[in-house]
Amino acid sequence: MADSVLASGLSDEKVTAALEKLIKDLDDKIRAFLSSCVRCGLCADVCHVYLADNEVESIPAHKVERLAKLYRRYHTWLGRLFPHLAEAKPLTSETLIALEDAVFGRCSGCGRCALNCSVGLDPSAVIRFARQMLVSAGLVPKGIQGNINAAIEHGNSMSISKKDVVETIEWLEEDLRMTLDDDSASIPIDAPGKRILYALNPREVKFFPLSISAAAMIFHVAGESYTVSSFDFDITNYGYFSGDDKAAGEISGALLKRAEELGVEELVIAECGHGYRSNRWELAEWLGHELPIPVRSLVEVMAEYLRDGRIKLDPSKNTERITLHDPCNLVRHGGVIEEQRYLLKHSVTDFVEMYPNRENNYCCGGGGGLLAASEHSEKRIQSGKMKADQIKATGAKVLATPCHNCIDQILELNKHYKLGIEIKTVGEVVADALILPGNSS
Amino acid sequence: MTASGIFLMVSMIFSALSFIVLRISSLRGGKSIEHATPRGSAAAGVLYAFTYAFAPWAKESARRHLPSYLAGIVYHFAIFTMIVLLVLTLFALEFEYPADIILASLIGAGLLCGAGLLFKRILLAKMRAISIPDDFFSNLIVDIALAAGIVYLLHPPAAAAFQIIGGLLAIYAPFSKLKHMVFLFTSRRYVGRHFGRRGVKPHARPLGATHG
Repeated sequence: MADSVLASGLSDEKVTAALEKLIKDLDDKIRAFLSSCVRCGLCADVCHVYLADNEVESIPAHKVERLAKLYRRYHTWLGRLFPHLAEAKPLTSETLIALEDAVFGRCSGCGRCALNCSVGLDPSAVIRFARQMLVSAGLVPKGIQGNINAAIEHGNSMSISKKDVVETIEWLEEDLRMTLDDDSASIPIDAPGKRILYALNPREVKFFPLSISAAAMIFHVAGESYTVSSFDFDITNYGYFSGDDKAAGEISGALLKRAEELGVEELVIAECGHGYRSNRWELAEWLGHELPIPVRSLVEVMAEYLRDGRIKLDPSKNTERITLHDPCNLVRHGGVIEEQRYLLKHSVTDFVEMYPNRENNYCCGGGGGLLAASEHSEKRIQSGKMKADQIKATGAKVLATPCHNCIDQILELNKHYKLGIEIKTVGEVVADALILPGNSS
Repeated sequence: MTASGIFLMVSMIFSALSFIVLRISSLRGGKSIEHATPRGSAAAGVLYAFTYAFAPWAKESARRHLPSYLAGIVYHFAIFTMIVLLVLTLFALEFEYPADIILASLIGAGLLCGAGLLFKRILLAKMRAISIPDDFFSNLIVDIALAAGIVYLLHPPAAAAFQIIGGLLAIYAPFSKLKHMVFLFTSRRYVGRHFGRRGVKPHARPLGATHG
């Protein structure tokens, strides 16, 4: 093993650490999944990566098999007794490097295969365990690891200072007052005792402040009691992507702690698929207990406002054809399925669905942290072809999606596949249709 | 009881014990417990996973590959029938006309489907690329057992051969991909619970309802 390790630059210690993870940390669920796959191959044609590149290495069963070969070698009788019959392989530096390509380069963890597996296993859960092994081996793409380090050291994955956050929010507050012609309009920062902590994606602060403006306008019109935080506000979690549960728990845990410090009743997550999944679903698993306060997506909260009559919308303000992209982590793994449709149908005159949609949607290709993994950017753009084809087929001029990660990817698909669309968050579309107080039209 | 009957019985007990050991060994890894407040129902998700999720129209993968999916269903029905038949040989039950023909036809249809799936695995480059030797061997040994079952139905004195082949299959099963016959249930329960709790399969709430 030593020679191969030296050849690839992975130390013996790192390979051993990955092996220990494989031997000690496989739970019943992953063992069952690895023992269930019959390699029927029916998952191939539902994977956006395989459909785009047509390479057998991209078939979900093939990706699962990368780990299953190792599993059989160390955990099964046949693999120990007759490794050739079972194709059981020892863990080496090479197998780890091949695993990295399979589980980071060729999988966004979208889970579409899980809904389509003929046996009924979840390949994306297997892929995430493989990523955990790669964390042990230090084989995480540099960009993803960099964002984790930044989040832990600076409180957010883009290392935005508290001063910059405050200045941005104050500027947006001034803009909100001008737009609404209402000096009482505000975006409270670090205000304790409010009902909601509205947690942000750092990309909104740095590159997409209009998303914050839209949410602030909707909160104002709905008469919501809310605050944003100038630090530990980050909903993104690259530890979730990498498979580093310890870091992931620390990152999302800091946001929850901030919500508790501010004494809010609810944590509301800005439009971000993996941010929602991390904080709504996975954080409880990382902490090992149920969360003390509810966590919801802004999409759910906006839909509640609309249903309860706290906001009113005028669809005639959005007349261009609009379609919706379902973020995998919000929809297929999050269960927020109908709210965004409810909002858009009341916000625009010409809403058209992609097909397939809802939990059967195609991943845009940017999930799984791949936007931060420059090593795999070519494959990422290639794997977005299915989404690009879906968008083209709708004939839409505007695409709405409740996820900044997806927005970044679709912005690139827009250029690469010449889609000619405008891309917005759902909140931005809703804000455009908002009937302001004292204005009946 | 005949010698082949004793061999079959011992093989089946070995197989059952091996599966119990496998499950205990897997459970020693720790059960995956979910703590997040559910949005939907875990029970509804598990029910979905064991019922509607099997419908060919419930999955895009099945719709795209309907002949393969249906072949798999028929194959597995035949395998279950063959296993029941194998157990019944221990009680020296004989099937008279037309039961023998009906059962032989059912198992025969399964054998054709199994052979078809085996040829698909051999002939398609994509299938070869994702296959391991065990995939071919498991399919082959099951097909041989199905064929032995048909011969037994049509010619009861062949019971000994059927029992020996069935016994070998029972011994091999826990070591091979055939163990999915047990782990499939565990997998479906986990996946059903995951999507059920999250309100994805089935959908937790109607359009526009956002409380919960």
